[in-house]
Amino acid sequence: MKTPRISPETLRVLESFLERPTGWHYGYELSRETKLKSGTLYPILMRLEKHKLLEARWVATQDGVPPRHTYRLTPDGLELARTQSEEARSRWMVQQPALSRS
Amino acid sequence: MRDTSLRQAAALLLDYATRIAPPASREWGQAMRGELSFVKGPWAALAWAFGGASVMAKHALMAIFIPGRSQGIPPGDELFAKNVSLGKAALVAGAGCILIALLFFGAPPFRQAFRVALKPWTFIFQMASRNLQPGFENLAKRAEAQHDPEGLAFCAVRQQNSHESVRLAEEAVRLNPNLIWVYAVVGMRHPELDEVRPWIEKLERWDPQNSLFHLIEAESLDRFHFRRGVWTPPMREQEQAWQSAMAAAFQSPKFDDYLDRVAGLNRRVVPRYGFYDPYEVASRDQLDLPDTAFENSERFANSLLRTGEDLEARNDRKSALEKYWTVAHFGQTIDSQGRTGFEHLIGTSLQAMAYRQLQAFSVKGGDQAEATLFAYLAAKFDPLSGEQPGFPGESTFGLDTAKRNAAVVQISGLMILVFSGLLVIAAAILLVGGSASRRTPSAAQRAKPVATMVLLSSAAGLLFSSVTLYLTYRPYWYIFQSAIVTGGRSQARDLLFFLNDTKMPSGASPRVVNLLLHSLLYSGSPDFLFYVWTGVTLLGLIGLVLIFLRHFLGRPRVNRLQNHPRVP
Repeated sequence: MKTPRISPETLRVLESFLERPTGWHYGYELSRETKLKSGTLYPILMRLEKHKLLEARWVATQDGVPPRHTYRLTPDGLELARTQSEEARSRWMVQQPALSRS
Repeated sequence: MRDTSLRQAAALLLDYATRIAPPASREWGQAMRGELSFVKGPWAALAWAFGGASVMAKHALMAIFIPGRSQGIPPGDELFAKNVSLGKAALVAGAGCILIALLFFGAPPFRQAFRVALKPWTFIFQMASRNLQPGFENLAKRAEAQHDPEGLAFCAVRQQNSHESVRLAEEAVRLNPNLIWVYAVVGMRHPELDEVRPWIEKLERWDPQNSLFHLIEAESLDRFHFRRGVWTPPMREQEQAWQSAMAAAFQSPKFDDYLDRVAGLNRRVVPRYGFYDPYEVASRDQLDLPDTAFENSERFANSLLRTGEDLEARNDRKSALEKYWTVAHFGQTIDSQGRTGFEHLIGTSLQAMAYRQLQAFSVKGGDQAEATLFAYLAAKFDPLSGEQPGFPGESTFGLDTAKRNAAVVQISGLMILVFSGLLVIAAAILLVGGSASRRTPSAAQRAKPVATMVLLSSAAGLLFSSVTLYLTYRPYWYIFQSAIVTGGRSQARDLLFFLNDTKMPSGASPRVVNLLLHSLLYSGSPDFLFYVWTGVTLLGLIGLVLIFLRHFLGRPRVNRLQNHPRVP
């Protein structure tokens, strides 16, 4: 399978999911962990969900408070997240000496 | 209290944004709305809502411009490229705006409005090149090549170069002797020319009752004493000739300035040559009685009134009354048959002078009722305080509206140029960025998001400026068309006020501009303004290039460092 091109922001979201790979995550919680604003975070979540890399569900809350959307990586999403994270780490390791020299 | 209000505002914003989003995206709007209750701090909640609303707005826009991509997610490799869909939507929206703006150029009112908007700049460069009527040269050549007497007459009556004007007029009359009235119109503009006197003789034979030729003759004699700007006292014979010309004018029963024939010429020649230049066609400033016609008429009227007083003193009341009525009748003739504001002014002023004298005459004769009538008429025709009747071409909009519309038109035209320039730069960056390698991103590639936004906002600005220019100029286009097609002069003065205001750069003081133009024409430094404006334009361009170079090439390449993962 051809590896899709990935943006640094998406990588941050995937890595955030990897910290609790099987757990459910709220949008605001992801926003705080990744330091991404809602306008950047949600389009990423939408793309991941559209491509079945992420699953979402609604969670009821106390009366008067709207229900919350929570997210979890699917097995495909988990695999992609691990692959991308590894690739990015190795790329960074290669770049480090060059950057140190410069 | 404030916290609650801010949170409520944030919730309202997100609710509204969710409502306008396409159905497939609404669930995500509700998801962001659900999180809003858990965002810490009211300002953070508002920022969260703004972010969410922007996502929903983007999806709503994409649903409009790219139907079928309600979530804006492109397939394949572009899956994770941030803002790819937004960029495409922006490009499509920008292209739409540019297309609509370009369609405006298909409308003749818009093309004319655009030329009018750029008039201050073209006018200054025309001044610098000492060619104020560049269109006429070609028009006259075409008319000569086609042996078109009306085309030649059209150029002759508007040509500012007096010798060229004479040549064209004589050629037009040679081809069509019925156009002999062109001599009168050219004579009104250039009474100082030697050709005017033989023309007047011909015109007097052709239209013997018209006072216009005598006024031109008097003006010609008057200007003779001002040759080369130096006043030479008239000799006795010359003064007598002037008195005879004015006496003949005051005795003539008719006044015709032939402006209706000029209007007829416009109707036929303008469409024939497609010469839709409102400054040349609509302007009647030059097609009027000579400047000193007012002074000459007043001077001669005063001499008649003084003669009448002398006759009264000698108890020759009948002859005195005749003198007074000569002035009043001439005033009535000019007032009722004149077509320009200046002619009406001469007519009413002379009538006011005559009626005042007649009032005094009636008082001396003991006829109080007649004196009251003349007092009323004198007050009515007084140019300063009288109730002037409206005459064709009166202003409806007023000077302030003309000034404001002129400024709007000038700014819109300038903005069209600025936005077009920005569009070209943004398009060039996008083209260069698009062809560059993705693995080694160039400066142009890094600037692509900025260029996309510049392109979209410039396209929107271009469209807005075009719409503003079109809507503001449209009424003047109709006035202009009416003047050409029907010869109608309704609101012609509004058009003239507007055109005069568009001639000089917005905000510039007429006094300063006049001073500059005067120095340009008479100081022997014709290139001064040309160099100034060329310098300003070049400095602006260099500044723009420097800003772009500094922004896109001088910026540190931080993007290369952004791809590193967070090290566990």
